[in-house]
Amino acid sequence: MESSSSCPSDSNPKPPGASKFLSNLPSRGFLSSTVSSSNPGGMRVYICEHDTSPPEGQQIKTNQTNILIRSLQLNKHKGDSSSKDVKGLTATEGSRKRAPERALDSRAPAKRGNNQIGSRQGFEHTEGSDSRTSDKDYYSLTVERLRALLKERGLSPKGKKDELVARLRGV
Amino acid sequence: MSVWNYVVTAHKPTNVTHSCVGNFTSSQELNLIIAKCTRIEINLLTPQGLQPMLDVPIYGRIATLELFRPHGEAQDFLFIATERYKFCVLQWDAETSELITRAMGDVSDRIGRPTDNGQIGIIDPDCRLIGLHLYDGLFKVIPFDNKGQLKEAFNIRLEELQVLDIKFLHGCSKPTIVVLYQDNKDARHVKTYEVALKDKDFIEGPWSQNNLDNGADLLIPVPPPFCGVLIIGEETIVYCSANVFRAIPIRPSITKAYGRVDADGSRYLLGDHAGLLHLLVITHEKEKVTGLKIELLGETSIASTISYLDNAFVFIGSSYGDSQLVKLNLQPDAKGSYVEVLDRYVNLGPIVDFCVVDLERQGQGQVVTCSGAYKDGSLRIVRNGIGINEQASVELQGIKGMWSLRSLTDDPFDTFLVVSFISETRILAMNIEDELEETEIEGFCSQVQTLFCHCAVFNQLVQVTSSSVRLVSSTTRELRQEWNAPSGYSINVATANATQVLLATGGGHLVYLEIGDGTLTQAKHAQLECEISCLDINPIGENPNYSQLAAVGMWTDISVRIFSLPDLNLITKEPLGGEIIPRSVLLCSFEGISYLLCALGDGHLLNFLLNLSTGELKDRKKVSLGTQPITLRTFSSKNTTHVFAASDRPTVIYSSNKKLLYSNVNLKEVSHMCPFNSAAFPDSLAIAKEGELSIGTIDDIQKLHIRSIPLGEHARRICHQEQSRTFSICSMKNQSNAEESEMHFIRLLDDQTFEFISTYPLDTFEYGCSILSCSFSDDSNVYYCVGTAYVLPEENEPTKGRILVFIVEDGKLQLIAEKETKGAVYSLNAFNGKLLAAINQKIQLYKWMLRDDGTRELQSECGHHGHILALYVQTRGDFIVVGDLMKSISLLIYKHEEGAIEERARDYNANWMSAVEILDDDIYLGAENNFNLFTVRKNSEGATDEERGRLEVVGEYHLGEFVNRFRHGSLVMRLPDSDVGQIPTVIFGTVNGVIGVIASLPHEQYLFLEKLQSNLRKVIKGVGGLSHEQWRSFNNEKKTVDAKNFLDGDLIESFLDLSRSRMDEISKAMEISVEELCKRVEELTRLH
Repeated sequence: MESSSSCPSDSNPKPPGASKFLSNLPSRGFLSSTVSSSNPGGMRVYICEHDTSPPEGQQIKTNQTNILIRSLQLNKHKGDSSSKDVKGLTATEGSRKRAPERALDSRAPAKRGNNQIGSRQGFEHTEGSDSRTSDKDYYSLTVERLRALLKERGLSPKGKKDELVARLRGV
Repeated sequence: MSVWNYVVTAHKPTNVTHSCVGNFTSSQELNLIIAKCTRIEINLLTPQGLQPMLDVPIYGRIATLELFRPHGEAQDFLFIATERYKFCVLQWDAETSELITRAMGDVSDRIGRPTDNGQIGIIDPDCRLIGLHLYDGLFKVIPFDNKGQLKEAFNIRLEELQVLDIKFLHGCSKPTIVVLYQDNKDARHVKTYEVALKDKDFIEGPWSQNNLDNGADLLIPVPPPFCGVLIIGEETIVYCSANVFRAIPIRPSITKAYGRVDADGSRYLLGDHAGLLHLLVITHEKEKVTGLKIELLGETSIASTISYLDNAFVFIGSSYGDSQLVKLNLQPDAKGSYVEVLDRYVNLGPIVDFCVVDLERQGQGQVVTCSGAYKDGSLRIVRNGIGINEQASVELQGIKGMWSLRSLTDDPFDTFLVVSFISETRILAMNIEDELEETEIEGFCSQVQTLFCHCAVFNQLVQVTSSSVRLVSSTTRELRQEWNAPSGYSINVATANATQVLLATGGGHLVYLEIGDGTLTQAKHAQLECEISCLDINPIGENPNYSQLAAVGMWTDISVRIFSLPDLNLITKEPLGGEIIPRSVLLCSFEGISYLLCALGDGHLLNFLLNLSTGELKDRKKVSLGTQPITLRTFSSKNTTHVFAASDRPTVIYSSNKKLLYSNVNLKEVSHMCPFNSAAFPDSLAIAKEGELSIGTIDDIQKLHIRSIPLGEHARRICHQEQSRTFSICSMKNQSNAEESEMHFIRLLDDQTFEFISTYPLDTFEYGCSILSCSFSDDSNVYYCVGTAYVLPEENEPTKGRILVFIVEDGKLQLIAEKETKGAVYSLNAFNGKLLAAINQKIQLYKWMLRDDGTRELQSECGHHGHILALYVQTRGDFIVVGDLMKSISLLIYKHEEGAIEERARDYNANWMSAVEILDDDIYLGAENNFNLFTVRKNSEGATDEERGRLEVVGEYHLGEFVNRFRHGSLVMRLPDSDVGQIPTVIFGTVNGVIGVIASLPHEQYLFLEKLQSNLRKVIKGVGGLSHEQWRSFNNEKKTVDAKNFLDGDLIESFLDLSRSRMDEISKAMEISVEELCKRVEELTRLH
């Protein structure tokens, strides 16, 4: 290794220039030069008696949508806004999307109930942004999920999938 | 021991992993926040130094710690992410002095491979998002909205799989990260990405840099105006930005930590693996970087984190040695160092091994640890309780009381020591040669027992005997005035201060006298309905010579009463309950709070908060100090007043953070104590114990005492030998200049001075792996046995090792025998007069044979195969418990008749073990590398062979600490007659410097504490909304299950720190009084 003259690579204990660089160290008025040894120990142990749950909406969860599906969704979202003739495409896309969605569901066991709420909120979000995608999204949901949504809105969870979607759309 | 275990920390983690500086507690205040793995410490920077504020337990192992300032906020927030994928954002509420949770969440993903190089958590300098790299190939983004609130997180795919570091760049219009990574040809590169929050994806960043230093490991983002990044390698440092590239060569070193000095990022402190501190300077012209300069400043502990504080002060946090507060001086000292160490903060971590010994033979265990690593390696002697350093002692039997007196009222030093016996009083004084000599005070009556003595105003002394009170001039030593008890009555108890005397005679008469110049005036008399057992008028009010309250303890109705002085009006009567009379009462004041202490005849102590103006007593608490009557006395040490409770278990009562604490004194039994502050023995105590009077000074008042023995090398194994009074260690020394960079030694140390007295160097590449002191059957000598391994660079596992047998002769290690083995000797145990060794995958038993020529040798007897690596072995009788590298615990048995070792049972879980211990015949304790503890039980009653061959997992617990060693033993003095003395304990030592205790409880007590723990969980909340239940749940790659058969003693003992109202709440839920609860929890604190 080559060492330039300014580099203290020779472990010289008296580098010529360190003093030069050590001047004007920042100071904000704390630890003035007569600093005395601080008292170690004696630190109060914090006992947290108040409620520590975060404020509403600040319990953060991760969007569970698969990265690939998300990017497809986003792409399509862009596509939707540019081209209007999407009827046929929607259907095929919808069916294509179901498979990974279902896989996602089966991978989520019962204990992840709270996460489902998170992802459901995600869906509601997209639904709010564009009503046409919402119809398609209803179709992409499993029947169980649709029934859950219906129950949540106090509607009857009975019937075929088309009826369920129609009922949801009617709200 | 049993399956019902209680885990508690005796010494908190001290390994500093992270630190940061910012305005956390207020916009005006500057704080240093230190993370010690599972705790954070908040310090305040003041002109006088670092002022500790708060020690906050976190329910998780801290993976990242960052301060940041969201838009529109006046003070910084603290971002913490834990290793178990939780995060929280904390804010300090200055009004309530509480930590508020601003946000929290779970950032785990169901799929994904945890990163190899540790978790990365970073915050955009413009506060647009938090970035987390937790799994290979994924970058998690938690965006902020424009109000500074966090939004739903999402993952972005990161192409680079072997990420070494990620940082945010400063001054970018879109949040931009810079990624240091290694490709599959092991070359290292840097790449930048913009985070597109809308598209939730990366966009190629403004620049990249390929083929960096092969050791590049650390990125330092440089703030505006430069806005580039420093890439720290092992041989070069590079500054890189979109249009500037500057590099300098450095002396080969591995940079472990950095700290930014200037806000504009022109100077940085770099700490390397050898503990050298460098200053890196960015030279610049017109906001354009022109070059880099590096200067060596000096040596510190090996840093894991560096925080520049202010005004040239720097905090060096260390994992391998003590953390330090250093100052950077403008001019070098004589050794050429610009670094001046101002303060050291003790760090025991990493505790690689330890042993429990009783060096002073007092029946009190001490832990001697192998602490620190590399150049910062040391031995630490950790002792519980307060030591008395005896300076003089004299044999004196039958002491009934002791008082020290001054010759003049305002003399700073004590002159006389009055010692009272059953039928006489002797007076000792310091003579000119500073020796204690018997003397006389003519005015005192020395033919009878003295009940009380005190210095009084006007250069007078007061002596109370059973018949009279005598007032004596301290200058002429002549009697000035005497008050005689009425005939037919004798004085039973008495107390006095400088101006007052209070005494009680038989029949419940209470007499109050006032002292004047040569006068003793009976000011008041009162007749109580029953006999008086003890009195106190220690002045704790404004006037240091006069008390307005008197405390009186009563026989018969078992109560303590508060009277007003001088009129002797009864203010408060507090029945004590029970049938044990109060033996000593004391009015005292700690940290501005007044207390009444009342000691009972059975070793219990009650304390009350005392309202000085109304005389009211409240918040009664009871603790058990010993089993014999207690005598209370105040004394002062380092200008603070403490109380000494003399009994069969002497205790010092002191106050910290407005809470009374009890620390035992390392003496067996003390009958009386009085402070004796003479010129020759300043700040000393006179102590009467077991037929002896001794004078000594007292240690600092704190619970654990730690003594450091710096070794300058890394001790890896330790063992004590009682017979030769020596320690033996296996150690490793790094040599920077020699051909072989490290050398291994067996060293012998004196167990009092801790000096090296003999050294046996091991061969090149030979490591000491295990050490044992043992003896063999048919041989009375005691030997040190050392197991070694030849760690050759080309081998994955050692295939050769040695067992060396040494004897200590004339303070020297003499090699007696040597046996070559076919692998590393990971463990050695004494076993039925033979030697049991764990050698790679094998357990091998050696006999100690006498050769024809009279020399000895180790001869292989039998063995057992079938482990991956048998790392940890413990034995009990014929049973052998083996902790395997990755196959959990198995149980072997040695069969004498066949001379064979067979497997009896095993735990079929795949636990990677770090330590094992046998708790009792059937229950074995293990620690594994995911920071869990578990117990397994032998199932001898199983119906089938299959059942009997399985060790059943009975207890599981997440400790959050990596345990390196378990040892049976205790840090506290064991009293055979106390409840706590019956509880068996195991001590453990961890990488973070924690010394902990695992205590096996009776089932009934376990159930009680389990209920208390679940009640406490409802009241004591996890900081940042983290859950205690989740934190303590057993967790590894395969499963997460709730803790069982282990209790968290740290949570349970924090009951004592709760506010009274919360205590009441819990006591209601538990259906047991607060007093009883406090007492039961207080007892547990005496386990450590």
